[in-house]
Amino acid sequence: MVGLPYDCLANPLGAVRLTFEKAVASGSDPATFEGKDWGATDLFRQFIFDDGGLSQVPFLNPSTMTWVQPNTLVRFWGMIQDMLGNEFYVGAYKEGETWRTNKFADFSQFPMAVDSSPDMRVWERRLLYCVPVPGQNSWIEHSSESLFNPSSISSPLQREKRHREDDTAINDIDMQVTDEEVHACTSNKKMREGGIASNSSNTGDTLNEDIDSSTSVLPYFDRTSFPCLVKIYDSPESNLKLNDVFEFIGVFTFDPEFPVDKNDTNDLESSLCDDTLTQMPPSRVPRLHCLVHRKLATQDFISGSPTFELKSHLVKSIREALLGHLTSILGNDGVAANLITFSFYLQVHARVDSIAVGKLSLNLTCFNKETLSVFGHRLNLALKNLLPFTHCIPLSVDYLNKVSLVPKKDYQTNRLASGILQLAEGSHLTIDETQLQAGTLNSTGVENARVLRNLLELQKVEYDFTYYKMDMPADIQLLVLSEGKSNILPADLVLPLCPVSVDAAQDVETEVLRSWRWYLATMRSLSHTIEKEMQKVLEDDLVAARQADRSLSSLDFSRLLTMGRLVSLSFGETSLTLEHWKMANELERLRKERLQGSL
Amino acid sequence: MASDSSPVNTPGGANPSTPDVSISSGEGDDADEAPPMYVWGTNISVQDVNAAILRFLRNFREDSSQTEGKYMRAIHHVIEMEGDSLDVDAHDVFDYDGDLYTKMVRFPLEVLAIFDIVLMDMVSRINPLFEKHIQARIFNLKTSTSMRNLNPSDIEKMVSLKGMIIRCSAIIPEIREAIFRCLVCGYYSDPIVVDRGRINEPTICGKQECLARNSMTLVHNRCRFADKQIVRVQETPDEIPEGGTPHTVSLLMHDKLVDVGKPGDRVEVTGIYRAMTVRIGPAHRTVKSLFKASLSMCLLRKTDKSRMHAEDPMEVENGVVGSDEHLDNEEKVEKLKELSKQPDIYERLTRSLAPNIWELDDVKKGLLCQLFGGNALSLSSGASFRGDINILLVGDPGTSKSQLLQYIHKLSPRGIYTSGRGSSAVGLTAYVAKDPETGETVLESGALVLSDRGICCIDEFDKMSDSARSMLHEVMEQQTVSIAKAGIIASLNARTSVLACANPIGSRYNPRLSVIDNIHLPPTLLSRFDLIYLILDKADEQTDRRLAKHIVALHFEDPENSEQEVIDLPTLAAYLSYARKNIHPELSDEAAEELTRGYVEMRIRGNFPGSSKKVITATPRQLESLIRLSEALARIRFSEKVEKKDVMEAFRLLEVALQQSATDHATGTIDMDLITTGVSASERMRRENLVSTTRNIIMEKLQLGGPSTRLLELLEDAKKQSSGGEVHLADLRNALATLATEGLVVVHGDTVKRI
Repeated sequence: MVGLPYDCLANPLGAVRLTFEKAVASGSDPATFEGKDWGATDLFRQFIFDDGGLSQVPFLNPSTMTWVQPNTLVRFWGMIQDMLGNEFYVGAYKEGETWRTNKFADFSQFPMAVDSSPDMRVWERRLLYCVPVPGQNSWIEHSSESLFNPSSISSPLQREKRHREDDTAINDIDMQVTDEEVHACTSNKKMREGGIASNSSNTGDTLNEDIDSSTSVLPYFDRTSFPCLVKIYDSPESNLKLNDVFEFIGVFTFDPEFPVDKNDTNDLESSLCDDTLTQMPPSRVPRLHCLVHRKLATQDFISGSPTFELKSHLVKSIREALLGHLTSILGNDGVAANLITFSFYLQVHARVDSIAVGKLSLNLTCFNKETLSVFGHRLNLALKNLLPFTHCIPLSVDYLNKVSLVPKKDYQTNRLASGILQLAEGSHLTIDETQLQAGTLNSTGVENARVLRNLLELQKVEYDFTYYKMDMPADIQLLVLSEGKSNILPADLVLPLCPVSVDAAQDVETEVLRSWRWYLATMRSLSHTIEKEMQKVLEDDLVAARQADRSLSSLDFSRLLTMGRLVSLSFGETSLTLEHWKMANELERLRKERLQGSL
Repeated sequence: MASDSSPVNTPGGANPSTPDVSISSGEGDDADEAPPMYVWGTNISVQDVNAAILRFLRNFREDSSQTEGKYMRAIHHVIEMEGDSLDVDAHDVFDYDGDLYTKMVRFPLEVLAIFDIVLMDMVSRINPLFEKHIQARIFNLKTSTSMRNLNPSDIEKMVSLKGMIIRCSAIIPEIREAIFRCLVCGYYSDPIVVDRGRINEPTICGKQECLARNSMTLVHNRCRFADKQIVRVQETPDEIPEGGTPHTVSLLMHDKLVDVGKPGDRVEVTGIYRAMTVRIGPAHRTVKSLFKASLSMCLLRKTDKSRMHAEDPMEVENGVVGSDEHLDNEEKVEKLKELSKQPDIYERLTRSLAPNIWELDDVKKGLLCQLFGGNALSLSSGASFRGDINILLVGDPGTSKSQLLQYIHKLSPRGIYTSGRGSSAVGLTAYVAKDPETGETVLESGALVLSDRGICCIDEFDKMSDSARSMLHEVMEQQTVSIAKAGIIASLNARTSVLACANPIGSRYNPRLSVIDNIHLPPTLLSRFDLIYLILDKADEQTDRRLAKHIVALHFEDPENSEQEVIDLPTLAAYLSYARKNIHPELSDEAAEELTRGYVEMRIRGNFPGSSKKVITATPRQLESLIRLSEALARIRFSEKVEKKDVMEAFRLLEVALQQSATDHATGTIDMDLITTGVSASERMRRENLVSTTRNIIMEKLQLGGPSTRLLELLEDAKKQSSGGEVHLADLRNALATLATEGLVVVHGDTVKRI
């Protein structure tokens, strides 16, 4: 194998530089680049996707922060929490007679004429403020960490080194970096060994330990808020949207020794300088100069697990097992288990006017203190184990009055202050209404209740920009737990929970859990259509139903159709069959019966 | 204006912020004879630009009939007013000299500097004693950029942006001229002018005898400072693409522009896009390879805050409208006019209104009329007639009333959407609040005042508290909100159309009861609605099938495919705002005749031949409604005349609405009494009959002071006696109550006793 003259992993900037020089050498004029790519990202794309380099790229998270070296290639999974606009930087400049580039770097590596020279080109890049996906469950991290094996990375490094000895051009800097890298790897190994040992005993402990180990070095980081400032180059704006979950692969820069000027005397001016430096000094927020990014689907989080084939009997058996598990969790209430699984495949697939097609929120009623402590707790645990992002809101008067649910633009800092409802697409939100007591809501509380209601009805969250509000479409799976039917939060489906028996909680093997996760993620991503004949059947059924019961509204029909779609998806089918439609109707009938019975 | 911290070299002779007028203008004069100077890095000659500007200022006329140039007059005016700036319309520059315009936009720093010099020169020639420095302020550029599209190529160019102010800094005194004093000998230096954001502090005392080193100290109170303010502007919501957050841009405001806008204002700004190098830290001199962009301001104009104006492309703000915008608009207007000429425009608009809501065509037509509105009229005597049409929708749950409301709210200019349950009287009208800082009482507007000249959509009207509803009386007829609180007595305009929807009292509409009984609203309020629609869920297989088909399609097909030929929302909104703004139809004679005829006919309809009962089918309020509706219908066609067919359609609409709401279910005819009093004429007749029957029975059967009788016995008798119809216990009780007030009987629980 012919080695590359540079190391994409340890010295990505070297690689960038090399391609730049190559481009200049081949006759293109950097002055005309205007920030466009000259082949650097292609190189990295090839390295990452075609040459299987992806698995060698370390993740950036609090635990890896301690040993990942600046100016190396890292990847980061995160949700775009805020967009900080564009930043102008000196993209290309001349050092003497040679063109240099600053792309993918914070500072220039070569001395630069400070004042404007005609040979300085200003380019722009986008700043995205990314955070780990809210409500991300711990199993994702485990799977992601298990992906990265330090031993696998050190060997190619050594091999690289041998090749590079022949190459004198960029050797010096690289050597230095790689040496440090190797050193870091070994230190990491030690740390990792400790981590793995505790991992087997208890997952909770690892979490704490990770925080401890990271906080000792980096006082400002904790696991829940580990932000990263991602700088995006050459990407059309429409590709990256707020609340999208992305994988960013790029050059990591971080400066823990960066001086933070506390006694900033020039307050008047700096108060309005939208300087990301002052608000987010590099010592707190790591930077990532993004080379390659891609949107993550739920499957990507389970990439560590063996991929199953999409065979109907396999899907069926997994479905049965999962349903069985949920049924036992819910005290042998099969209907409830069925309805709960519905929300797992849920996806808002179209928006017509203000209607979000494909939403289905579930309200499980008849919870009281005892049942909640048993089933609610178990259900939460199960959800956490099955879904990538889960969130739970304990609704109480006090909570409603105090919490800020919606993201709000803070004009002091010119940032979007996140709210609890700023969730990634496909997050699961459980709202526990059982703790709600009688009380007075203040204006915040009223507003919050309204926001929640809007979310349930329209799948939209109104972001507060003080002078106006902006609707952001959301795609969140909702589950409401309440004593009686919730009137504050009108869900699409209301079902009284009827537990028959309380089984001892069973433990599920990790392998089985994995197959379930895979199943849920895959089913969710399936597209779904309906045949012409089936449409006719549906229409007839709906008309007949309406003739029989005048109180059926278009909302009921919508719900029924969504249920049909979900039943069919749960079998891994991409088109609705009569059988599944019947099943959906049967479920609805059972639900209604139970609703009647409970009244 | 041309700020001082410029990273770009300005031409030597032209520093715009040079305060010493005579010097800079002198330099300008000198330049005429000097060898040609060029704007740095280009082949633009300073002299050429100088001459071009002079020509423009001297000779530009808006039309050739004017003797004096537009800007000469403006300059004289500025001198008279002792102003300090001259506003120059960039369109004028373009019209007069396109080349100059291009240069100005591409090299604003340099060209504006020359502009200032020329201006000063001219001023000093007109009035040598005039000492103030006059700046040229350019506005109304031909192209307006979106904040999102600003990129490095815009740096150092003149750009124009629209946005909303979100934050203003405090006023920062910025040094312009510094004077130093020698600590050794007390010698004062000459004023030192700020050069590109820096003051070159003298290191040696300027006095020949002293020449002390490092002895100079700044004398604060002899320095000259200028006001500076940093304002941040953010994109308006309509420019933000889906899934994005608004972008912001900082503006540097100087002198007069300070405090022109406040947070929340929508503004249009013109300025020079600048990029400044970023220092690593405030204390560091080293620069990063980063630039911070901001807009150095030329002019800031407020566009109206309200949605109606901001989104109204036809709006002529401050009497200045760019011809470019004008052209664009003219095109648009042409298109709209073309649209209005379509023979089926009325149907087409109806179809385009909430295309996802099925049926309800007549309701939609009514809503369309509401959107377009009639003409408001105020007589010299002070009486005024509203032009706004109020509509009430009553109907079964699940008949997409709320969706209609939401849609109208979205479409209408200045729509406000509230829910009756969550609204209080003050929230709807206005309230007085105390400013926590100053203690001043301030008036805060509520939803109705805020939707002045718009539509206020009130959902769940029936669930509104009585006090809130009573406030609506004034709003819906007088169109004002009166406040008398805490030392403030005010009458605020609330020229708003109300679109309300209500659920029937028993959640489903009971066809056997009147509207009043179904929706528990006071008749006084009901009569103020021009149109009251009952949206009932009728059992009809056809409708059901269509609904089913629609929903299935919604779920399983691409929503775009199922769309029929409709006018899209922006066009509809543009159409609407143009009509509201520019079309003021008047009644034609023919139409007036038709109105009179129709009205009389409606009233006659109440008098059935051979019937003694008097049924009111129409009241003057209905006549007013009819006029409004026909005006609105003419407006829909962009017609300045209300024609007969409009009136006929208005009658039809009113009748459809009346038939649904004011039909007396006992007789099947329209009865306005149902709305105005809540009791239909036939019902009143029946009640009177029952009272007299009961009286007869009591007179016959019961002795004065004799034994009492039971209610049920009476009921039996009454049933026997009354010729037709059922007699209910409740009716009988009512009748007895009437008799009791007459002093004929006493009712104790179930027993009746004659006295």
